[in-house]
Amino acid sequence: MKIICKKEDLLLGVNTVQRAVSSKSTLPILQSIKMRTENNYLWFEATDLEIGIRCQIPVNVMEEGQVVIPAKLFSEIVRKLPDTEIKIESQDSNINIYYYSSDFVINGYDPEEYPEISDISSSENIEIPATIFKSMIKQTIIACAVEETRPVFTGILLQIEGENINLVSTDTHRLAHSQSVIPGNQKEFKGIIPSKTMQEIYRLLQDDDILYISYNNNRVILKFGSVQIITRLIEGQFPNYKQVIPQTCGTKLLINTKKFLDTVERASLLSRDNYLKTNTVRFNIENSAININQFSETGKINEKIDIDQDGEDVTIAFNAKYIIDVLKVVETENILMESSGSFSPCIFRPEDDDNYLCLVLPLRS
Amino acid sequence: MGQLYQAITEVEENISRLLGEVKSLRQYVEYLEEENVSLKRQLCAVSEADTERVQKNAARIQKEAHENLEKLYSEGFHICHIYFGENLEGSCLFCNAFLRKD
Repeated sequence: MKIICKKEDLLLGVNTVQRAVSSKSTLPILQSIKMRTENNYLWFEATDLEIGIRCQIPVNVMEEGQVVIPAKLFSEIVRKLPDTEIKIESQDSNINIYYYSSDFVINGYDPEEYPEISDISSSENIEIPATIFKSMIKQTIIACAVEETRPVFTGILLQIEGENINLVSTDTHRLAHSQSVIPGNQKEFKGIIPSKTMQEIYRLLQDDDILYISYNNNRVILKFGSVQIITRLIEGQFPNYKQVIPQTCGTKLLINTKKFLDTVERASLLSRDNYLKTNTVRFNIENSAININQFSETGKINEKIDIDQDGEDVTIAFNAKYIIDVLKVVETENILMESSGSFSPCIFRPEDDDNYLCLVLPLRS
Repeated sequence: MGQLYQAITEVEENISRLLGEVKSLRQYVEYLEEENVSLKRQLCAVSEADTERVQKNAARIQKEAHENLEKLYSEGFHICHIYFGENLEGSCLFCNAFLRKD
């Protein structure tokens, strides 16, 4: 392989695929990036066998070929290269990087040993505008479980039924549901996509991209711009999430999102230090105001926010992190909070927007 | 001619005897069907007292089961079908929904 390219293009390719490089695999070759030429493009590939990312950049190809090189070292050297024309040449499994009158050699692996990121031969193709999908990921990824005791909760359920698209996630303490419309779509899909894949889609998707989704029984390929992401689907049945969403409520509150977020963030500074070591924040809702009176060994906070209240007074405690997470993804000026008492799940949704809701279960005192 | 006439007479007599037997069989079948219906009714009939007793018993069992599940949940165990019996950390939306549904 012999190519001439720019530093910024190399950096773009490395940055795009780097998150798919395995960080804890016992196979050293999975901690590498594969580069191969095709016509006048250089393809970057990385996989940890669960997610695979491919990306192509335009280069001047003088000799076709492919190489596999350690990702960390290559990434670091690319970042430190000068802004000049870069020549890369492979020699057996190694590569020589030439810049000015200097060169840097990286020892690589045999490309034949690198696992192939195979395509999905499916004619089914769903098109989704990037802005819709990015916004839906942002709203739902907050509720994914981190622990892997139940893998289905570490992903986001993607359900497409004709023109309706739904993303749902839950860690059993909270649940986020976002829905939207894909005009003209007739196809159907249902699968649980790992949150790591969703994070990568969110990171790499540009607002003017169109996302193309192809799938088979256990894998999905997502293509946009010059990027392709191939991921396995999480096996298992996502529980019936509709049954946990309350249909009625006793108290409806309309709260300024920014003020509420600032207040909860301030209160959580003290709640982190409390003797229970839980990040609890307690709201006393009465007379069209939310009162927070929090204290710990390190201090005390008294806050009051004026709100629009419709319904009964209620005292309710939450994990402050859950409230902060939802308030950060709601972009409307006001947020609607629907409560059915101190022990029932509380619904948060943007004002005048029925397409998103986040359900948070109060803490039991 | 006399022989043929006698033969026809015998056939006629046989047919009328057979008809008589069919008639009596029909009556017997009707009786059996009536008896069958009445026996079925007797089998299915449950007295109001029995119905009430069964319903009360079911309600009691359901109440006890609900209380037991509530107790388990408050003692820190999952009662939802996803994690049933496992240690509960904080609270669970699915356990909560299960208790509300009951």
